[in-house]
Amino acid sequence: MTYPRLVLRNLFRHPFRTVFTTLSIALSIFLVCAVLTLPSALDTILERAASNVRIAVHHKAGLTYWLPFAFVNKVRGVPGVVGINHYSWFGGIYDEPKNMFPNFAIDPDTVAEVWPDYQIEPEALARFRTVRNGALVGETTFNKFHWRIGQEVTLRGTIFPVDLTFRIVGIIRTAVGNPMVFWFNRKYLEEAMEGRGGFGRVGMIWLRADRPEQVDGIMRAVDDLFRNSEAEVASETEKSFIASFFSSFQGFIRVILIVGFLVVGAVVLIAANTSAMSVRERVPEIAVLKSLGFRRRPILLVLMAESTLVACVGGTLGAVGAYVILGALRAAGKTGAMPFLGPLASFNMSPSVAGEGLTIALVVGLLAGAVPAWNGARLNVVEALRRLF
Amino acid sequence: MAIPIAYNVRNLIVRRGTTLFTMGGIALVVAATMLLAALVGGLQQMLVATGEADNLVVLRKGATSDGSSQVTRDAAQALRALSGVARDPTGHPLASRELVNQPFIHTSGGGRENVLVRGVEPVAFTVHRAVRIVEGRAFRPNLGEVVIGRGAVARYAPGGVGTRLAFGRRLWTVVGIFDSGGTAFDSEIWADVNDVQDDTRRDGFSGLRLRVAPGDDRGAIARRIESDGRFTLEAKPETTYYEEQAETANALYVLVLTLGAVMATGAVFGALNTMYAAVAARTAEIGTLRALGFGRGAVLASFLTESLLLAAGGLVAGVALAAIVVFAINTLLSGVQFSMMTFTVATVLLRLTPGGALLGFVFAAAIGILGGLAPAWRAAHLRVVDALHRA
Repeated sequence: MTYPRLVLRNLFRHPFRTVFTTLSIALSIFLVCAVLTLPSALDTILERAASNVRIAVHHKAGLTYWLPFAFVNKVRGVPGVVGINHYSWFGGIYDEPKNMFPNFAIDPDTVAEVWPDYQIEPEALARFRTVRNGALVGETTFNKFHWRIGQEVTLRGTIFPVDLTFRIVGIIRTAVGNPMVFWFNRKYLEEAMEGRGGFGRVGMIWLRADRPEQVDGIMRAVDDLFRNSEAEVASETEKSFIASFFSSFQGFIRVILIVGFLVVGAVVLIAANTSAMSVRERVPEIAVLKSLGFRRRPILLVLMAESTLVACVGGTLGAVGAYVILGALRAAGKTGAMPFLGPLASFNMSPSVAGEGLTIALVVGLLAGAVPAWNGARLNVVEALRRLF
Repeated sequence: MAIPIAYNVRNLIVRRGTTLFTMGGIALVVAATMLLAALVGGLQQMLVATGEADNLVVLRKGATSDGSSQVTRDAAQALRALSGVARDPTGHPLASRELVNQPFIHTSGGGRENVLVRGVEPVAFTVHRAVRIVEGRAFRPNLGEVVIGRGAVARYAPGGVGTRLAFGRRLWTVVGIFDSGGTAFDSEIWADVNDVQDDTRRDGFSGLRLRVAPGDDRGAIARRIESDGRFTLEAKPETTYYEEQAETANALYVLVLTLGAVMATGAVFGALNTMYAAVAARTAEIGTLRALGFGRGAVLASFLTESLLLAAGGLVAGVALAAIVVFAINTLLSGVQFSMMTFTVATVLLRLTPGGALLGFVFAAAIGILGGLAPAWRAAHLRVVDALHRA
C-alpha cells in the first residue's frame, strides 16, 4: 500500500468526520475571504481609479472652502501641466434625499485632456460641449435610476438656491472611470445664479501632468503660487486625495480583521481537535506500524498529510464558494431588487483574496495536524502495544 | 430515571483536551459574533440616543444633513419669531441657529480627516439638553475659542483644555470639553457661530434647531414651516433626523447576522465531530448504562446535556473574550471611527448590548443542540447487546 492510499483510506475511515471537518473549514475560509474582500476592494479602487499624473488642488483648510474661480486661469502657466479642469460641488438631490450621488459643475471643454483614461466616447464629449444643460453620468448612477441617453432629469439644489434640469448626453463606464459621478457644464450653473449673487468660485481644480516625474514639481509650484494669497491651497495626488476619504474606514476595517482572526482561530481549534481525535484512536495501529519498522518521519508525514489535505479541500471549497456567492450577490445588488444587501453586494472578490484564503487553509491544516502528528510519531511502541494487548 | 449531570461533567474533564478545543472553537465564534454586534450596537446607540423628541431640525428642503444645507439670515430670523417655538424665562426663543462646517483637521495619529465644526450661539446649550460642559468653560464670541466633544478629545486635542487647534483659516483655542452622553455631538467641535461664518466666508446658517413649546404640536409647526411660501425649508423631529442616519447601521445588522450564522454552522460541525467521537469511545459504557436500566430517553438526554455543557462553557468564555476585546478597542483605540452623512468622522464606542449577548446565546444554544442531537440519537439507539459486545 502506498502512502497516498494510506492517507485516503484513513480519511474515509470516518467519512462523516472528514466531511464535517472539511465543511467547517470551508465555511470559515468562505467567511475569511468575504471579510478580506472589503479592505482589498478599497485598495483596488485606489489602484484603479487613481491616476498617477492627476493632481487635486483644493483649499488648504478643507473641501468646504471655496477657491476664487480666477485661480483656474492662474495655474495655467505652471510648466508641465497638460490639462486643467475643476469641480464645484452642487449637492443636488434627485427625487428623494436618499438618492445620493456626487454631482459637480465642471468644464466640458477639457474633459478628454484631464481624464483621457475614462475613455469617454468622442460623440458624447462633443454633445457635452455643445448641449448647454448636458450631463455625463457614471454607469452605476445611470443604471440605478434606469436613465436613458437624452432623458431630462432635475436636481434640486441644497446649497445653491436653484433647481437645475439636465439632459443626459453620455456615460462614464465603470471599468475605466468614476461610476457614481454626475458631471455638468459650469456655465449652466453660472447662468442660473445670475441675479442671485452670481457664482464666481470653484470647489477644486484638477490638473494633469505630462509625466509622473513632473507631479511633485507641479504640486510645489501650485502651492507656492497661492502662498499668502486670499486662499492658500494644498495640492495632492489623486491617490492621496481618494485615500483620505477611506481613512475613516480604518477603524471599521480593524474590527473586521479582528473578527476574521477569531474565525481562523476557531477553525484551527476545531480542525486540531479532529486530528487529535483520529491520532488518539489510531494509537494501536501506529504502534504496529512502528514495530513493523516504519520510521518516525513517514508516520509524521502521513498524519500531517491527512489534516492538510482536508484543510486544502475545505479551503478550496470555501474560496470558490465565496467567489461565486459574492459574484451572485453583486449581480443581485446591481438589479436593485434586494436593497437590504447593502455593503454585501458592493464588492468583487479578487484572486489575491482567494490566494490568501487558500494560504490560511494550508496553515490551518499544518497547525492542526502538527501537534497530534508529532505525538503520534513519537509514540512509545512498547507502551502503546501494552495498552493494546 | 435520568443519568446524573456529574457523569457528563466528569466525562468532559476526562477528555479535557477535546473539551477545551471544542469549547474554544465555540467561544471564538460567540466572541466574533458579539464583537460585530457590539459595533452595530454602538453605532445604533449613538444615533438613537442623539436628539430630543421636542426639538425640530429645520433644513433646506432636500438636504440630507445639516452639512449640506443652506438657510438664509432672513429665513432664520422669521423662524425664531414663529409661534409655537418655546421661549426661555426672559422671553428669548429657544431657537438655535447653527452653521455646520467640515474642515480638515490633523489627528494625533498624523492623519487628516474632516471634522464636524458646529458654529452656535449660547442658546444652543439650552436647546441641546444633553450637552454639558464638563471641563473648562463655554467659548466667548469672536475670540476663536472652541469647546470639543468628549469623544473627539483624544483624537484631535490630546492636550485637553488649552490646546491650540489648527483648522479652517486660523488657530483656535480649546477652552472647554463637553459631554453629550455618548451621542453624535461627542465627536464634534463647537465654536461661536460668528467665528465660523467669518472663517467659511458664509453668510447665513446651515439650519436651525427649534424647541417646540410645551403643549404645542410639533407636527403642526413642521407643516407650517414646510408650507410657508417665504422659504423652501423642511422640518422634522430631531430624533427622526438621527434615526434616518442610523439606516446604515441596520444594513450592517444583516451583515452581522449572516456572518454569525455561517460561523455558527461551522462550529456545529466541530461539535458534531466531538460528540460522535464521544459516543463511539463510550459505546461500552452506554451499553452498561442501558443494561443497568437507564432508558433510551435518559441516554439521549445525557448526551444532549453534554453537548449543551460544551456550548455553555464556550458561551461563557466567548462573552468574556468579547468583553475583553471590546474594552481593549474602546480604551486603546478610543473606539471605532465611522464616516457620517456629513462626510465627517464620528467616533463610536463599541457596546455589548443585551441584544448582542442574546445573539451569542442563541448561536451557542444552536451549536449545542444541533451538534449534540444526532450523536445523542445514535447513542440512544445502540443495541444493548452490540454495545456490550464491545466491552
